[in-house]
Formats: sequence, structure tokens, C-alpha cells
Amino acid sequence: MKTENTIFGSYQKNPDLFDEVFDSSGEAKEVYQKLFELYGNYSIDDYVQLNNKAKASFFNQGITFQVYGDQETKEKIFPFDLFPRIIGPEEWDHIEQGAIQRSRALNLFLWDIYHDKKIVKDGIVPLELLSSSANYLHQMLGLDPPGEVYNHISGTDIIKHSDGEYYVLEDNIRCPSGVSYVVCNRTALKRALFGVFNHYQAHTVVNYAENLLQILESVKPKGTDSPNTVVITPGMYNSAYYEHSYLAKAMGVELVEGRDLYVENDFVYMKTISGPVRIDVIYRRVDDLFIDPLEFKPDSALGVPGLFAAYRRGNVCLANAPGTGVADDKAVYTYMPEIIKYYLDQDPILKNVHTYHCSRPDELRYVLEHITELVVKPVDESGGYGISIGSRLSKEEISKVKEQIKKSPRKYIAQPIMSLSVHPTYIDESQSFEQRHVDLRTFTLLGHDTEFVLKGGLSRVALKKGNLVVNSSQGGGSKDTWVLKNHNGKC
Amino acid sequence: MLARVANNLFWMGRYIERSEHVARFMHVNYFSSLDAPNERSQNRQFVLKSMRFMIGDPVKESAEVLDEEQVLYNLGMNADIPYSIISNVKWARENANSARDLISTELYEAINKFYHFVLNYPVETYVKRGLYDFCVNITEMTTILRGKIRGTLLHDEVYAIIMMGMNLERATQIIRIINTKYNDALMARGKSVEEEVGYSFEWVTLLKCAESYDMMRRFYKKPPNSVSTLEFLILNPDCPRSVMNSLNQVTKHINVIDRSKYPPKDSTAFLVEKVRADLKFKYVEEIEENIQDFIEKKLDDLVLIAQKMEKEFFNY
Repeated sequence: MKTENTIFGSYQKNPDLFDEVFDSSGEAKEVYQKLFELYGNYSIDDYVQLNNKAKASFFNQGITFQVYGDQETKEKIFPFDLFPRIIGPEEWDHIEQGAIQRSRALNLFLWDIYHDKKIVKDGIVPLELLSSSANYLHQMLGLDPPGEVYNHISGTDIIKHSDGEYYVLEDNIRCPSGVSYVVCNRTALKRALFGVFNHYQAHTVVNYAENLLQILESVKPKGTDSPNTVVITPGMYNSAYYEHSYLAKAMGVELVEGRDLYVENDFVYMKTISGPVRIDVIYRRVDDLFIDPLEFKPDSALGVPGLFAAYRRGNVCLANAPGTGVADDKAVYTYMPEIIKYYLDQDPILKNVHTYHCSRPDELRYVLEHITELVVKPVDESGGYGISIGSRLSKEEISKVKEQIKKSPRKYIAQPIMSLSVHPTYIDESQSFEQRHVDLRTFTLLGHDTEFVLKGGLSRVALKKGNLVVNSSQGGGSKDTWVLKNHNGKC
Repeated sequence: MLARVANNLFWMGRYIERSEHVARFMHVNYFSSLDAPNERSQNRQFVLKSMRFMIGDPVKESAEVLDEEQVLYNLGMNADIPYSIISNVKWARENANSARDLISTELYEAINKFYHFVLNYPVETYVKRGLYDFCVNITEMTTILRGKIRGTLLHDEVYAIIMMGMNLERATQIIRIINTKYNDALMARGKSVEEEVGYSFEWVTLLKCAESYDMMRRFYKKPPNSVSTLEFLILNPDCPRSVMNSLNQVTKHINVIDRSKYPPKDSTAFLVEKVRADLKFKYVEEIEENIQDFIEKKLDDLVLIAQKMEKEFFNY
């Protein structure tokens, strides 16, 4: 089908970028052909109307997030693109296997570094990697988490490079967010364009919450028959509050704040209208250092005094375990191939982006000399903050970044500028489809002898032209992501 | 249910109910004054002062001249004024937000729509020509919310807490409206109530403020007078807006939260029964004889119930 006279009529294809939908000859790839045909039937006006309806649907549902940094925190809709991303079954299988492999390896790594540290003794990773990490919690040393699981929930950020291969950009195993948007995106797309689902068989994404509950219950403390599970949130002004409330609702459990809980004799209770109720499993969406003022930040009002002691006694399970942050550190990331090999005796299924450690003198030198070809990232920040893309910096900015790196080399790593694949995305300003960079966050659950990967994920889109940073806090949007059940995806 | 969240839901119910009564009082009074039978009731200043009285911010100097647009703005859309409709709706949504995991998506979506409606209503239109449209939309949206609460929530403790909030607030607002219109009726005639207000136009307005005029006519088959109006709005258990009906609802819902057969004397359930029994065995002549005392006593009782609930259930 030709693109003229359709909503793709003015779609510009940059030959240097890997387009997920169109091949090098400009034709839609097989799996997208039907979709392309269906969307091609819409005029721009129809499409604009659909798009506005979808936006209103998000707004009315209150699916918004707050952006920090402005004088007043603003409520914004998470921009959503109605043109979905499709992943075929084989391609997905590769991603899924890779994501599980990483989660398992990270869990074994966490157990090891908080117990015997064999991986350090065997010289696979250097001791400084742990000792210099702010996220390594000495309080976790020798502690056996219920079910022997640390990273119950992992979010793996994956990109497709211009070579057509998937690469992992980072593992998020503290409090990865975004899964509620996966469900919302699907709902919004179904409401707006239900007809397209007649032609494709995509896996459902609404089963995440039931699997999450099952995983959480699989790591209940010893001696508990039917555990009481809660989700703890920093509160309704947190940027991910919608997600916290969604997960609590979808699992049918209470959404609590720190002030709703208290600890007595190393057991955790929540204050209800009919008195105290014991809590066994806590899915926490509060960062490590805020969970217990007695053990960590003493001025934290978000946590529960005594919670960590209850955890240490094995009377409550925290998911994810405190101290997991050490393993999603961007410096640990660079050792992932070795970590996977060491614990699982397997080659990594998903590739790692080559990484230069500024803590190593020869690599630091390379980074400083080639800064324009690299992306420099602080090792302990999330949400896309503090990233410098060398090719986009002015001379002054380059020297500033260099100074920062020299000042604390351990804090930075650098990677070649990866070219994220692009996907046709509707752009409001030009009222047309344009190429925009996308990544994919997958969600992996690890329980006691059980695991689950959500068949779908959050395809995040950098809405600014040419932008490579896809985080919502940096002006990113998202797309519904279909994982197809059968080969050609057609019914 | 968490004590903190219960408190928030209780107040969500109250704020939804309150915004409805304020909105209805405003437009019913304003529009019925346009063709009122006597000069006093037609007087715009009189109507505006009545609104201020009802909301609990009475004009102290009777000679003070109010600015119509300012009064309407303050009561409806001034977010800096705690009693305004917009403040009530904001708080209702804020409270709903904190209990988002407990209430249905449908209810939350309706509250959110309500909030965005009020937030985006053009102020200029509202104060100049949009009073009716704005207020009617508010009352309709609160009706939708009530439907979503009844139709989409599990009728358990969560529902009972919300309904307690709504019904306590309804009883409070109805008493406040009676108080205001009684006061208006007195001022309209400038003489004693007993002599002059038999067929007062103010009774019709009062009944309309409670959306009870048509049913009152059906029940009594006569034009309203002070006795029948008070009886209908205070004592008739079948009138859905009556104080009696609201207290019956409060009793029904407290029994979901506190299932003890013989509630102890310092419990909310005990106090609710006591207040209800006191009203149940009153007759209208008794009330009318000393209406002011009755109003003050009942408002105090309702405050006591809310305070008791706070102590017993919301203490976190």
C-alpha cells in the first residue's frame, strides 16, 4: 500500500534510523501491513478527533503524573500515542528469556554480595563496586529475605539499535514504575480503535496485578497461612501515585502510607477503623532510605519506625528488598555479562551496551577524549536526570561535564551513543506522523520458585524531535505494545 | 479499612453533599426572587444576604451593600474561600484521590469530571449569566456521584462511611436551610411568624431548596404553611431530604460499621440512636414553638456525632 493520501502521507523516513514499521524500501513490514492499511483509512481530521478523545479519556480517569522542579507541581497527562508497537512472538521470546535471565542473575548476585561475596573473592567484580556504592546497605548483610528473593519486581529498559538488535540500557530493581500505563494504554487504544483488535491477536496485559499478588504471596513470612499484603506509597502527591493506587485496587489490597502502619514487638500492623490488623507482605513504593527512620534517614516521615527490625526478624516481607539499588547501579550494569556467566553459567541472551568506567584511568582518558561520541551518565540517578549526550553539548557544557567527571570519576560511566529505533508517532503540532525514538520497559516478577514476564511492556517515545531521552519527566510519551500470539499476528 | 482513609471518605461524602445544597440554595433563591410576591423578597440585596447567611458567613451590618458578582463568585468559584463550591469539590476530589484504591474507577472518574467541570467553568460567564447553568450542573453531577456511589461500590464499610458523611451533611444542610428561610420569612414580613407567614412564598422556596416541593404538595394536598413545611422537612421519614430520613440512614450505616447488639454508651452507635430517638418522638408543634432552640440543639447533636466518629474510627 502506498502512503500517499493517507495519514502517513507526509511521513519522512530518515535512512540513518532504524524504523520499526517501514523497511529500507519504504514498505510497511509484514507484521504492520494490516495495521498500516487500517490506519490508512483515517483522514487527519478523524484521527485528530480520536486522539483528542483518547486524551480526554486519560484526563477524566485522572491518569496523570506530577512534574517536580517547577514552582508548583503540575498535573499532566502522560502523552499517549494511538499507533501501537507490535512485537512478534519469536522476537518477544528472546526478550522474555533475556529479561528472566537477568532477573535471576541479579537475585543471585544480591544474595551473594550480602552474604559470602564469592563473586568478589573470585575476582569477577571489584570490591569498590560495592563499597563505593551509596545503595549498598550494610544493614542487609547476612539477612535472609523471605523466599530468598530480593528483586521481586524488575523493570528492564531495552532498546533496538540501528543494527536491529535489542540491547539492555538499564535494569531497574528499586521501584520500577510504569506498569499501570501499560494497562491504561491498552484500555485507551481499545476504546478508541477497537476494530484493529479484530485483525491481531495480542496477549492481554491486565493479568499483571494477579501475578504480582501471587508473587508477593509466594514470599510470605514463615508461619503465615494467608498473608495480608499491602502497597505502601509516599502519598498522593508522589508522581507515581496513580500507579500505586491502581496496583492496590487491581490486587484488591490496601494502599497504605507510613503513618497508617506501626510496629509492635517486631510485628507490623495497620490502623483500621476496627483496630490493628497485622501485615505480612509489603509491596513498597517508598525508597530504601525512607522506609524506617530508626534505621535509615531519621527525618523520614514516609516510613514506619521499627519496620526494618520486623523485616530482620522475618516477620514481614518487603518487596523489593532494601539494598537492591546496589545492583541496578549503572556501574554494576557494565558487569552484567560476567554476572550472568558467573551465577548461571550462561551467555547473556540480551546484549549489554559497551560501557566505559570513568573509575578506570585508561577508560576515563578515553571518555574525556571522545566525549562528543558518548553519552555520559551518573551511576546513581534515575528518571533520566543528569544525562549528557556528548554530540548535543556546547563547548562550555563539554568542559563543565569534563570537570564534573574528573572531580568524581566513580560517579560516571559513558556509553557509545546508541541509536534508538524509531516508530511513527502522531505529533500534535504538525498534525502528522513523524519518526520518534522509542525504547521498551519490560516488567519481570520473581517469586519463590515462580516467575512471570508481562507480555507487553511500556514503549516509551521521546516526543521531541531527535530526542533520545524517553522518560516521562523529560517530555516522553508512550505507546500500547502488542506481543502477538502467533507468527503473522493475524486471526 | 484504614482509619485515615475512612476519615477521607467520610469527608468526601460530606463535601459532595455540601456542594449540592449550596448550589441549589443559590439558584432556587435567586430565581424565585425574580418574581416574588413582595418587594422584600424581590430585593436582590435580601437574596444575597440570605445566601451569605445560609453558608455561615452572615452579613453583620444590615446596611452593608453587597456586590452581586462578588457574592456569587465567592460562593461558587472563589477557591480562596473555604465555603465556596469549588473548594468543596476540590476537597471531595482530594479525598477521593487518597482512597482511589478503594472506590470504583467509575466513581473516581465521575468525581474527576465534576472537578474539571468546576475548575474550567468560565468565571465571567458564571457571575454574569451562568448562575443557573453552573448550579444545575453541580446538582446534576452530585446526583450522578450519588448514583455511582450506590451503584458501583460494594455496600460494605467503605460505602457505610461515605453514606454517613453524606447523610450527616444532608441533615446539617437541611437544618441550615430551614434556619435561613425561617429567618427570611420573618424579615420579609417584619412581623411575628405565627401571624403572617401562613402562605408565605418563602415556604415554597424553602421546599424547593430541598427539592421537596412537589412531594410535599402530593403528601398534604394543600399549599405549604409553616407547620406542614417543618413537619415534612424535619419529621417525615419518607421524605428523602428530611432530617428524620437522614438520621435513619445514619443509623442504618453506623450499624454496618459497629455491629454490636448493645453499643456501649460512649460509642457513636449509641449517640446516633439517642439523637434519632429524640427526633422520632418529637411533634411538630413542639418544634415550631421554639424553632431557634431546636435548630441549635440539632446542629450541636450532629457535630457531636461527627466528633464521636472521629474519636472512635478516624483516630490514626
